Amino acid sequence: MTFSFEIPLLLLLLVTAVGAVLVEDLISAILLLGSYSFFLALVWAWLGAVDVAFVEAVVGAGLATVLFLLTLFGTAPKVSRLRLPPPPMAALVSLPLLGLLLLYAANDLPQFGDPQSPPSTHISPTYLEQSYQDTHTPNVVTSILMDYRSLDTMIETVVIFTAGIACALLLRRHSS
Amino acid sequence: MKTFFFLVLLVLAILIGAYLYRVLQGPTIFDRLLGLNGISTKAIILLVLMGTVFERVDMFIDISTGYALLNLVGALAVAKYLEQKGLP
Amino acid sequence: MDILSVLFILAGLFFLIVAAIGVIRLPDVFSRAHAVSLTDSLGAFLMLVGLALHEGLSKNNLKIIAVLALLYIQNPVITHATIRAALRAGLKPWRRRPS
Repeated sequence: MTFSFEIPLLLLLLVTAVGAVLVEDLISAILLLGSYSFFLALVWAWLGAVDVAFVEAVVGAGLATVLFLLTLFGTAPKVSRLRLPPPPMAALVSLPLLGLLLLYAANDLPQFGDPQSPPSTHISPTYLEQSYQDTHTPNVVTSILMDYRSLDTMIETVVIFTAGIACALLLRRHSS
Repeated sequence: MKTFFFLVLLVLAILIGAYLYRVLQGPTIFDRLLGLNGISTKAIILLVLMGTVFERVDMFIDISTGYALLNLVGALAVAKYLEQKGLP
Repeated sequence: MDILSVLFILAGLFFLIVAAIGVIRLPDVFSRAHAVSLTDSLGAFLMLVGLALHEGLSKNNLKIIAVLALLYIQNPVITHATIRAALRAGLKPWRRRPS
């Protein structure tokens, strides 16, 4: 388990992201975004977060591609080619600085899978031991999502439902 | 055995890079679509292989099944769109 | 059993490498489609058979075989739809220039 296979996957992810920004055609950008989120799903699957990877593969790579295409098909733009203006100077200076700041901040995070880090010494054992007595749900992830954070999950479902209704209303064909 | 599987994983990642070259380079949109189809095939194999490396195939095989089904829908949607719209 | 699965995986890897070389080197969409649909399907088939042999007889084995059947059907179908769209969009197949 000491192989770090995520590094080639992250390289592929980077190439796909840069390509999706630089490509001139909207459909090609949609296709590249689909493969981008699938590489992200592969990285998450390799790091062990299988449920997140499942959601990313199904929603990001499958459904979002079809939704983008339906939007392109329904709005039918005259020109599907993109002409990007050159980015402003302030963005070119400030964004790398922001990235450096984030990298500096990420130095303080504990290593991946570190058994001495605060989450794996305090939080994880508590949930693993007490979630069954608290909620009587055998799966720990389900108990956290559906019992400890049930209000959060409910409002998330409402948001997704509203977004679905709005998309259906926007993309509806007028039959007249 | 695990080292062998890891080498196979690396070779598959390099092959995905070859297909990605075609997706980025491809002169027409259909080249990109073909390259994307190749990438998704490799990625499905990669997921099953990852499950074999971790010895938890039961978790990883479900992702690959779901992705394979949705990939079929997505690719057919793109092909239908291009067939009706013509070359962009 | 392990030797058999390694042999299957290596054969599949060979076909996948041939398909990748074809995707890079062939001249146009219609010839690249051969590399993606035929060679790639065979490579994926051999590789998943090798993985199923390594897994042994279990419920997961059936799931791997289901993915295999799905991949074996969907790969040519997607390629066919793409190439039909390319033909209807008016792309001409590549020909060797008369010397």
